Amino acid sequence: MNLFRSEEHLTRWLGDRGPGATLPVRQLSALAYAWWGDRLDPAWRPHTREQNQAILDRLGLTGSFWRLG
Amino acid sequence: MDDADVALRNDTYRLVVDLGRVPTAPQVAAVTGRTAEDVLAGWLRLHDAHALVLEAGGTAIRMANPFSGVPTAHRVQAEGRWWYANCAWDAFGICAALGTDGRIESSCPDCGEPLAVAVRDREPDRDDLLFLCPVPAQHWWDDIVAT
Repeated sequence: MNLFRSEEHLTRWLGDRGPGATLPVRQLSALAYAWWGDRLDPAWRPHTREQNQAILDRLGLTGSFWRLG
Repeated sequence: MDDADVALRNDTYRLVVDLGRVPTAPQVAAVTGRTAEDVLAGWLRLHDAHALVLEAGGTAIRMANPFSGVPTAHRVQAEGRWWYANCAWDAFGICAALGTDGRIESSCPDCGEPLAVAVRDREPDRDDLLFLCPVPAQHWWDDIVAT
């Protein structure tokens, strides 16, 4: 999971690879804060799949690519 | 995951921050009153529960997500230290987990040129970068290191 300089660089690198999913860096930051923000909380408990799916849904990351299974 | 394993996980993560790197089993044992063998057995259960990721062989931590136990192309400067992240997502996750601003350094896989982005008050200081998630969510844990 990488950062790319621009759409041009991303498209060129992808070539014949599968397209995956692309996010603007600001949306990535929001995802990271929602996903990892509690990892050092002394009261941390494991996220359920439903909790993680809700994080993705809240950020508009929906559709089959973002289904956790 | 029972309460004892959650406690071991939380002790391990606390040491990540205290040491500035993922701890060894003897380091965790020394500060928690467990034996190193107990720590390794607990880490294996946490690995199976996807709460951390062990190296092949099961004696060292590869990922205490979002922190990496090995050097990577994704570095974060925060809290006066450099940290290695497992990927670009985790790089932002280190700022999130530490609850602090930071500077992320990575490189564009296409051109190889370095990239840097600062995080201030949870927001990146630039909007031109794009993040690629190449693997569908249901397959992230098929091979989490490759993901």
